[in-house]
Amino acid sequence: MEMIIGGAFQGKSSYAKEHYPGIVWASGDTLTEEELFASDAVLGFHEYIRKEMKAGKDVSSLAGKLIRENPNIILVTDEVGYGVVPVDAFDRAYREAVGRVCTELAAFSTRVTRVVCGIGTVIKDA
Amino acid sequence: MLVLVTGGSGSGKSAFAENRVLSLGEAKRIYIATMYPFDKESHKRIDRHRAMRAGKGFETIECYTGLSQITLPEDCVVLLECMSNLTANEMFQQEGAHEDTVNAILSGVQHLREQVRHAVIVSNEIFSEAVSYEGETGIYQKFLGEINQRIAAEADEVVEVVYGIPVYHKKIRADIIKEAE
Repeated sequence: MEMIIGGAFQGKSSYAKEHYPGIVWASGDTLTEEELFASDAVLGFHEYIRKEMKAGKDVSSLAGKLIRENPNIILVTDEVGYGVVPVDAFDRAYREAVGRVCTELAAFSTRVTRVVCGIGTVIKDA
Repeated sequence: MLVLVTGGSGSGKSAFAENRVLSLGEAKRIYIATMYPFDKESHKRIDRHRAMRAGKGFETIECYTGLSQITLPEDCVVLLECMSNLTANEMFQQEGAHEDTVNAILSGVQHLREQVRHAVIVSNEIFSEAVSYEGETGIYQKFLGEINQRIAAEADEVVEVVYGIPVYHKKIRADIIKEAE
């Protein structure tokens, strides 16, 4: 598993497409669970988490399932935990869930790259 | 030794900070808890942290305001979690320091350092988002930002935890040498 993370509008997708040419990228906001487990790579993985939570699903076991079902997937995901604690309860839960799921996935990943202003820095290379 | 651990929400900074304390060797370990249990969500959070700490040999001391008043056992290793709660408490609780929050907290940290062998302080990154806050939330960000900077300036080690991965912004030489060996 590999992850490309960073804030919104930092050039993560361009970075990903340039560094992983020839891969089919699925889009997190419209993906079903089945499709997620079958995808080579996903853009906007945080949107998948939001979609699932909006549908009332518990995402606490998502990382474990993904590791089991699709251990070689490449995930591009926003970091959303760097602001003031949101007033809205759903936003609060979503923000924390993205952190927890991605922390678990990052522990499993062989490589994690953080993109700031289009520049990628590898923060984990196992 | 003073260590500042920071990071976003759900980043694994608490787990990292606890392990950092354990890596500082055998000592009396004190956990300074700062989250005031005012609702169901905060109780849940406190329970989660308690479960994480279980078996790691921490004695818990609660401190919602007035860090400079606490007395700690001699030569202990302390984990203070977290600056974002303590800052909010000092600003908004009745017995808090209000507009004098930054000074109150920094002298509290100094008071802590004079008593302990090592201190690990957890803080929080709440500064990068699109919304611009006015009023007390804006002041809260300003205060916490200043506190983080001042502690970081004094710290031997400053580490940002990103999805469980430590990104070092400041690291003492001894550690660098040790890692190279």
